[in-house]
Amino acid sequence: MGFFSTLGDIFRVLRHTFRQTMTRPFTYFYPFEDRYYPDTTRGRHIHIRKNCTACAQCVKACPTIAIRIDKQDRMYEKDAALHFDYTRCIFCGLCVQACKFNALFHTKIVDLSEETREDLQYGPDRMGTLERKPLKWRGRTFR
Amino acid sequence: MCPEIVDEAAQVWFGPQHVSAHGWATKLTIVGDYIVECDPNAGYFHRSAEKCLEFRNFQQGALIMERLCMLEAFLAEYPYVKAVEQIAQLDVPERARVMRTIMMEASRIHSLQFWWGQFGAELGLFAMTLWPWVDREYFLDAFEELTGSRHAVSYSAPGGVKYDFNEKSIKMLERALDRLEDRLPKFRDMILRSPTFKLRTKKIGLFDAAQGLKWGLSGPNIKACGIPMDLRKDDPDPNLAYEMCDWEVPVTTNEDHPGQCDAYDRMSQRFKEIETSASIIRQLLPQVPEGPIIDPKARAKANRLPEGEAYGRVEGTRGVTTLFLKTADKAQTPYRAKIRGPCFASYYSLKHLVPGSTFADFVVIFGSLDPYPGWWDR
Ligand code: SF4
Ligand code: SF4
Repeated sequence: MGFFSTLGDIFRVLRHTFRQTMTRPFTYFYPFEDRYYPDTTRGRHIHIRKNCTACAQCVKACPTIAIRIDKQDRMYEKDAALHFDYTRCIFCGLCVQACKFNALFHTKIVDLSEETREDLQYGPDRMGTLERKPLKWRGRTFR
Repeated sequence: MCPEIVDEAAQVWFGPQHVSAHGWATKLTIVGDYIVECDPNAGYFHRSAEKCLEFRNFQQGALIMERLCMLEAFLAEYPYVKAVEQIAQLDVPERARVMRTIMMEASRIHSLQFWWGQFGAELGLFAMTLWPWVDREYFLDAFEELTGSRHAVSYSAPGGVKYDFNEKSIKMLERALDRLEDRLPKFRDMILRSPTFKLRTKKIGLFDAAQGLKWGLSGPNIKACGIPMDLRKDDPDPNLAYEMCDWEVPVTTNEDHPGQCDAYDRMSQRFKEIETSASIIRQLLPQVPEGPIIDPKARAKANRLPEGEAYGRVEGTRGVTTLFLKTADKAQTPYRAKIRGPCFASYYSLKHLVPGSTFADFVVIFGSLDPYPGWWDR
């Protein structure tokens, strides 16, 4: 271990450090940017009421009794309203597989945190759309 | 114990709050720095999974199984699926067989990578924790691309699998394997030759094969003694595709103490397991045949099962994982489901392994057995 090899090592370390300061961080600046979610992501559901036939197969398939169906609430000819309880749902995907009428899908939205438990009970109005309250943080708006 | 020792002895609860105890509790009787008695206590994680299984139908049951051990989710849900397939006499398409096998081996790698990182943390070698955990992220990304979830994969269904391979998921799996094959040999040399690691693990937790078999150990803990006991070879499963590739059961024999294994041997055995799994995946990936991924009648057939009994088992990461399923006629839910996890045996073998060792070695002994509480508190 001569003087020059030690000096060389120091330079190598410095070069590595310098390069790392110039590269993009490995982490994501959430919520400014979000990570990549594949198309198969099992996030919160979306219910397309136009296709729904009120067959209740999704309700039967659910292992955690997270779905409640309201057959009186009609918007189209033979659809039904679905109430989802996201305090119970485990995002297993069985309800989506059970639906044979292309009326229920998973979406890529996985950040479902809310202030109260009641806010996680999604009624038919929230199940039909992906729009949600914008998130305000330090004077800036996200989503 | 003679009375003088009892006077000096102190009783210490290791866990459930201790970080290395991962939430389980072991009562240790300590004299000076030596442990004279070890009393493992199961029950801190009990979630009555067997009872829950009796209230779920045959599509839903596998979800509970995978939640017992999230690290090996693909492997954990398989015994249930296999038992249902046996009772309903379902045929699994060729493509699904190969895909299942690939994902189960990937899950094994993921679980072992997690384990040796955590073992490093338990030894106090904290940098060692993060190396495999970075590689493991790539496997998780591949799982997510395929199934839509990183841990709770819910992949196997009676009669096949739920999600088909796409180009991107195969590419991500290959990327994870590339990274693993690049970095693992370096880590293995670095760790197994490290004097610190040898001092901490050599001759610690030594048992021989006869003892291990008597205690009911299986999997890597027995293979580390030099016994090639592996369900993948011993009991080839017709619903899996291990016969399609060429592989040997990895075993470790140590010249210093043949027929016995210590914590060091168990570590090197698990490195070999990772390499075997990676080579199986490499051989199977080009062999995935075309065709359906699930038997189209399977869903209807698994809805109501005839009366019967079945025993599904698989060589898990930690040992033999089995599930006994009994159904009544035209049943929608099982009459009885009995889970046999591999870690109940390894946890209770601490009772014989630990006395006589020092307190600092206790963490090394139980860490090296790769216990996972989900498997004994089910
Ligand atoms: S994803 Fe699973 S738990 Fe959630 S509502 Fe659908 S079936 Fe129920
Ligand atoms: S969402 Fe699908 S499964 Fe559920 S009631 Fe509507 S059509 Fe039936």
